Amino acid sequence: MNLEKINDKANKKLKKVVKSIWVFNWFNSCGFTEILPVVGSRWDMERFGLIPVPSPRQADCLIIAGYQTMKSIKRAKLIYEQMSSPKIVIALGSCPVSGGMYWDSYNTIKRLKDYLPVDLYIPGCPPRPEAIFDGISKLIQKSTN
Amino acid sequence: MRNIILTLKSKFGVEILKEEKKQIWLKADKKNLLKICSLIKKNGFNFFSSLTAVDILEKNVIELIYHIWSEEKKTILNIKIKIDRERPEISSVSNVYDASQIHEREIRELFGVNFLGNPDLSSLFLEDWSGPAPFLKSFDWRNYVRKKFYSKENKRERGYFT
Amino acid sequence: MKDLNKEQYQEFLFGPAHPGSGNFSVKIKLDGEKVIESKSDPGYLHRGFEKLMEYRNIWQNAILSDRICVFEPLAWNLLFAEAMEKLINIEIPERAKYIRVILAELSRIQSHFIWLGAFFSASGFDAGFKIAFGYRDYILDLFSAVTGGRVYPAGYICPGGVRKDLPRDIESKILKVLGKIREAVSYFEKENPAFVSRTKGVGILKLEDAIRLGASGPVLRATGFRQDVRKSEPYEIYQKVAFNLPVLKEGDAYSRFKIGLLEIAESVKIIEQLLDKIPSGNFINAKMKFGAAFNFPDDREVYVRNEIARGEGTMYVKSKAGPKLERIKIKGPSFLHLIPVLEFLLKGTEVADIPIIYWSLNGCPADMDR
Repeated sequence: MNLEKINDKANKKLKKVVKSIWVFNWFNSCGFTEILPVVGSRWDMERFGLIPVPSPRQADCLIIAGYQTMKSIKRAKLIYEQMSSPKIVIALGSCPVSGGMYWDSYNTIKRLKDYLPVDLYIPGCPPRPEAIFDGISKLIQKSTN
Repeated sequence: MRNIILTLKSKFGVEILKEEKKQIWLKADKKNLLKICSLIKKNGFNFFSSLTAVDILEKNVIELIYHIWSEEKKTILNIKIKIDRERPEISSVSNVYDASQIHEREIRELFGVNFLGNPDLSSLFLEDWSGPAPFLKSFDWRNYVRKKFYSKENKRERGYFT
Repeated sequence: MKDLNKEQYQEFLFGPAHPGSGNFSVKIKLDGEKVIESKSDPGYLHRGFEKLMEYRNIWQNAILSDRICVFEPLAWNLLFAEAMEKLINIEIPERAKYIRVILAELSRIQSHFIWLGAFFSASGFDAGFKIAFGYRDYILDLFSAVTGGRVYPAGYICPGGVRKDLPRDIESKILKVLGKIREAVSYFEKENPAFVSRTKGVGILKLEDAIRLGASGPVLRATGFRQDVRKSEPYEIYQKVAFNLPVLKEGDAYSRFKIGLLEIAESVKIIEQLLDKIPSGNFINAKMKFGAAFNFPDDREVYVRNEIARGEGTMYVKSKAGPKLERIKIKGPSFLHLIPVLEFLLKGTEVADIPIIYWSLNGCPADMDR
C-alpha cells in the first residue's frame, strides 16, 4: 500500500469539508444572542459558506455556545454521535473552558473536554461576532496548510 | 378593604404585621388556610402572584408566604404561615387558585414539602437526582460540588480545597 | 390511530434540537395529526440561581443579576437594584431615574425584536427574521456606547443609581436610532398573507382561562383585560409619563403579534418625552461606592414587582446582619406561560400549529428554569 496515496485522500476530504462548513442549529443558553446576529444580515456568515441545517446527518460542525447542564449534555452527546465524519466541535464562551460564572453550581458541567473532543476555543462572555469570525478563519487556515 | 381585614381578624385570628402603601403583611395559622383563601377570592383577590418558602434552621420551621393581588382594590396581601421542619406538610390550595399548582410542584422538589391534595407532584427541573432536597440549609452544596467536579491532583484547582 | 400492537396512542418528543423550538421540549401524545395530551419538560437551563446569590456579596450579585434571562439583562438589573434600595431604605437622585427608564424602554424594544424575528422564522417568513435582527443592531451599538457591552452591561444599573454618567453627544444618536425603529415597524405593518393565514384563529385563549391560569403581560392584554404594573403600581418615574395600553379582544396568535408591534410604538413615544428633560446632578447616591464593603441591616423583608417585556417579574428578599443575604426568590412570567397555559392550549390542535402557539406566547426558558 502506498502511504502517500492514503494521506492525500484524507487531506482532500478535509479540504472539501473546510471549504463550506454546515452548522447544526443546537442553539442553547447565553450564546444564543450572539449566534443569531451572526446568522442575520449585518454579520452575514453565509458569505464564508456557513449555513444552519436542521438535521445532524447533513452537518459538519457542532457549536456549543455556553453552559451545559447535566440534562442537556446527554442530548448533545447523542447528536454528536449521529453526525458523520469528518466533523468538528467549536466551544464558544468562557463556560466550556473552566466553568465560567457558574463555577460553583451543582447542575452545570465545568470542563467540556471531559465529554466531547474540542477543536477550537473562542473565549469571551459572550465573544463579539468579529472574534467568532477570527477563530473560524484560523481553523480554515490551519487545515489547508 | 377594612371590612375584609376586620373579618379575618375576628373569625380566623389573623395578625397584621406591617401596612405599607399598597401591600399588607399578615400572619395566619396552618389550619385556617383554605377558609381564608375562599373568603378573599370571593372579595376580588383572584390573581395568584407567587409562593415563597424560607428555611429557618435555628427555630426548626419552614415558613411559607402566599402573595395574592387584586386589580380593583390595587393591593397585595402577603400571608405568612409556619410549618414544622421534621414533618413538613400542608393542605394544597390548587382547588381554589389553579395557578398555584405549578408553584407547589416546584417547592416539593426543592424543599421537600408535601402538599396534600395536589393532583401532580412529579419532579420538574432535576433529572436522576437521588440526594436530599437541594435548597434546604442542611445540605452542604459547596462540598457536593467539590467532590463531584474538581480534583485535588489538578494543580490549578488545588485552591478550592483549602 | 392506535398502535395495533400495544393498543396505545403514539408518543413523541418535540424536543430541544427541533428548528422550531428553543431550549425547551414538550412530550405529546398523537392520534394521527391531532394532539390529545401534552406535558411540558423544563429543566435544560437550571443553574440553582437562588443558591448562587446566597454566597456572594451585594456588588457581585449586581453583576450576576443580568444573567437571569439573556434576552433582556437590563430589566432584571433594574428589578434587583429596586429590591435592594427598598431593603436598605435609601433615595436615588433624579438624573439616575431618568437614565434608568430610558435604558429599560430600549431594552423592551430590542427584546420584542428578538421575539418577532424568531416568530417569523418559525412560521416560514424568513425575510422578516433578517430584517428584525438587522435593525436590532442599532440598539446594541447604543448599549455598547453607554454601558460598555453589547449583550451584558456588567451591572451598570446598580443599587444606588448608575455606575457612570452618560457620554456627551448621546441624545442625537438616540434620536437617529428611533427614526430607524419607526422604519422597521412600518415595514412589518404591511401584512404578509402567508403569515396572516397561518396565525389567524390559532391558539385562542379566553379571558376567564387567562386569569385562572395566571397569565400576565401581552398575553393577558390580548384577551381584553387591561392590566399593567407600570399603571397600577408605578415605580421610578412612570407616573410622570403619558402612554397608552394597547388592548385587543380576540386572544389568538395574530392579536398577540399585533400587540407586540403597538407596544414598540408606545415605547418610542415614552423615550421621546424624556429625552429633553433629563436634569443635571449626581448619578449615584453618595453613600454607595461600587466595590466597597457593605453590611445589611438585620431581619427585614421586601416584595417588589416590575413589568418586564414578557409579563410580571417579582422578587422576594430577606436579609440578615452581615454582608450576605439570607434568602432571595425570583419568579419570571414564563414559569406560568410555558407550563400551565401551553398545556391547556395544545389540547385538540394539529401538529403543524405547535411552533406557532409556542412562539406567540413569548416565553424565555432561562426565566422559567433560573
